[in-house]
Amino acid sequence: MTTSVEDVRTEHTGAKRPELIGLGALVGAGALLAAVGTRLLTGPFAIVALSLVFASILALVVVAVTGTPESRRKIAPYGLLKPGMLWLALFYLAPLFTLLRLSLSTLPNRFAVEAEFDWNLGNYADAFTDFGPQFQRAFLYAGIATVLTIAIGYPLAYVIAFRGGKYRTLLLGLVVIPFFTSYLIRTIAWRSLLSDQGQFVGVINTLRLDRLLETLQIMDDGRLINTPAAVIFGLTYNFLPFMVLPIYVSLEKIDVRLLDAAKDLYSTSTAAFAKIIVPLSIPGIFAGTLLTFIPAAGDFVNSLYLGSPNTTMIGNSIQDQFLVQNNVPLASAMSFVLMFIITVFVLIYSKFFGTEDLA
Amino acid sequence: MTTPRPNPFRVPAGRSAMSRRQLLLRAGALGAAGVSLPTLLAACGGDSESGATTPGTSGGTTPGTAGGAATGTLFFENWPSYIDPTEDGLTGTVDRFMEATGIDMRYTEAFNDNNEYFAKIQPLLGRGEPIDPDIFAPTSWMANRLITLDWLEKLPIDQVPNAANLRADLQNPSWDPTGEYSLPWQTGFAGIAYNSEVTGREITSVDDLFDPEFAGKVGALTEMRDTIGVIAMSLGIDISTLSSFADAQPAFDKLQEAKDSGQIRRFHGNDYFDDLSNGNLAITIGWSGDVAAIARDNPNVKFVFPESGATSWADTMVVPKGARNVEAAAQWMNFVYDPVQAAQITTWVGYVSPVAGVREEVEKLDADLANDPLVFPDDATLANTKGFASLSDDVEAEFDAAFSAITGA
Repeated sequence: MTTSVEDVRTEHTGAKRPELIGLGALVGAGALLAAVGTRLLTGPFAIVALSLVFASILALVVVAVTGTPESRRKIAPYGLLKPGMLWLALFYLAPLFTLLRLSLSTLPNRFAVEAEFDWNLGNYADAFTDFGPQFQRAFLYAGIATVLTIAIGYPLAYVIAFRGGKYRTLLLGLVVIPFFTSYLIRTIAWRSLLSDQGQFVGVINTLRLDRLLETLQIMDDGRLINTPAAVIFGLTYNFLPFMVLPIYVSLEKIDVRLLDAAKDLYSTSTAAFAKIIVPLSIPGIFAGTLLTFIPAAGDFVNSLYLGSPNTTMIGNSIQDQFLVQNNVPLASAMSFVLMFIITVFVLIYSKFFGTEDLA
Repeated sequence: MTTPRPNPFRVPAGRSAMSRRQLLLRAGALGAAGVSLPTLLAACGGDSESGATTPGTSGGTTPGTAGGAATGTLFFENWPSYIDPTEDGLTGTVDRFMEATGIDMRYTEAFNDNNEYFAKIQPLLGRGEPIDPDIFAPTSWMANRLITLDWLEKLPIDQVPNAANLRADLQNPSWDPTGEYSLPWQTGFAGIAYNSEVTGREITSVDDLFDPEFAGKVGALTEMRDTIGVIAMSLGIDISTLSSFADAQPAFDKLQEAKDSGQIRRFHGNDYFDDLSNGNLAITIGWSGDVAAIARDNPNVKFVFPESGATSWADTMVVPKGARNVEAAAQWMNFVYDPVQAAQITTWVGYVSPVAGVREEVEKLDADLANDPLVFPDDATLANTKGFASLSDDVEAEFDAAFSAITGA
């Protein structure tokens, strides 16, 4: 916020540290834009702030055109970061801050449009006490679904990467093809496939597998749909490509001569797999887990269409509080609790599993 | 924005009265697509309606033929499948209206749920800013809330001479005591819908919803007043005089118990039809019009008034504060309150028309329908229905919170 047009102008005429000015312009413009986005600055102040943001962009252009090669080289990274930074300031930082503020606000009355900010921590207490089961289910279902996507996705990625040959691209294409149809439509389609009169239940009953599946708690009273298993299945199905692709990328990079070397040194195939392939593919598993677990924990579509009133996940509750109950402060607090728990999970997970470079 | 949205579900030729059933089945085949897609779009932050079309000022002006009074494009946002479309050689009500008056009209079906729609309009109307639709269709209790919040325009009732055709029992209703803000669009009942092939017997009582024999095959509506209303009536509670949460507590307890035990499979909006006809649901709380339209063709799916009684409700037409085409809206209301026009709507939607004299018109179109007690209820039927009491703000908040805690969201 400290940067003005003047600072930047003097810079190309002879300031010694153009990179500091570049950084200042970057952070300052980002902060100003975020402040406008969160309505901390309004009216004439917002106009001034936006003018400053614009001026800082203009100044960068001026430097890029007229500066010495040295200052241009130093300022280039900040110029390149600027579009992304401004984008994130307006569409990520500002909403996040607004959400945080709302989560600490109180609705003066039930149908009030504006929540009043008053450091109301009660929303967080409510989020924990009233929605405990939904949080637990969200993480349980997302956790199981993630493990299942690894169990299914790893062999799949392995076969494509090492045995795919000339069909690799085709096989990868097949993995991606479901994305050509809406996520929503695919999930809704599973409703009829899993329904009581659907093919799956029919086949299961014909093969007399229903007892077994009931014991495994996959079926409930002869039903597949509207069970926790159906929700977990839906999550697994929908997020599988997000697991397969990163694992494939990490497997595909492995130099197969390492395996030849292992065999030359009398390693068994199993040992070679466990000691070479798996460790080298861990970045893929890690990335896949993040891409699967995080969205799955916040998902509400699968529970909505494949679940029952006893399988609601926290995503359903947040959606309901935001869009049906109009309790924006509580919904915001719930969102923050969800983000917090996921962050903790990811930090712990990356501590044990993480690698320096993701995939 | 010059013509109404074409009906996305083209229906093969058939009697017009069957069209709604076929449409429901088709929508059902895609699960809840017809009903819940907008919910999800809204949830994802996409607002399919606002901003897309109607500009700040009134849209393209049409040279008025009807006295030149109304200008611009009239915009009516209604519930899904709630009006006869132009199909099978029949001209839909919207098209007939445009032809008769020369008024340009935009008709959408984005009103899916009262609470959800409220959440959508609240940020605008709550700040005194106008919303795009000139007319929308909240259920009576929601209309009452909007009247209390002063978010509605008074209807220019002097420009709606046909409003005189309003059924006597709907004049100055509890939700709009002066009758100045709303005109009913359709009315109907919530009772028990069931598939006799799955239940294996005829259903007569709300207790059957809680019969362990049907465990996991029972549904209930997400509309609190209908689900709680039907259950409360079976417990001998008079829902038309509820004044505190404690009065209705037994009904909530009963619902909670059924949900916890897994008796209730799902809470649904308008999308229960497919589940009911294919047997995923044996029995549920449903709306009369949906079942009335199909019962004639699928004898297994039936709608009954439980012995203890059914709830009655009304969806209304209201004009939001700041609406740009109030006069055109009045012309529209006048048009659909003409019994000849209203009869066309009734034969398609299968609900109880708020317009007196419709029965005579329907008789000319479909004699069977004219004798359907769900569409033209007799006094005995009406005596067995009750409307849900108007709740004060605080009490309603308690009801809503308790209900949403049970539905699990």
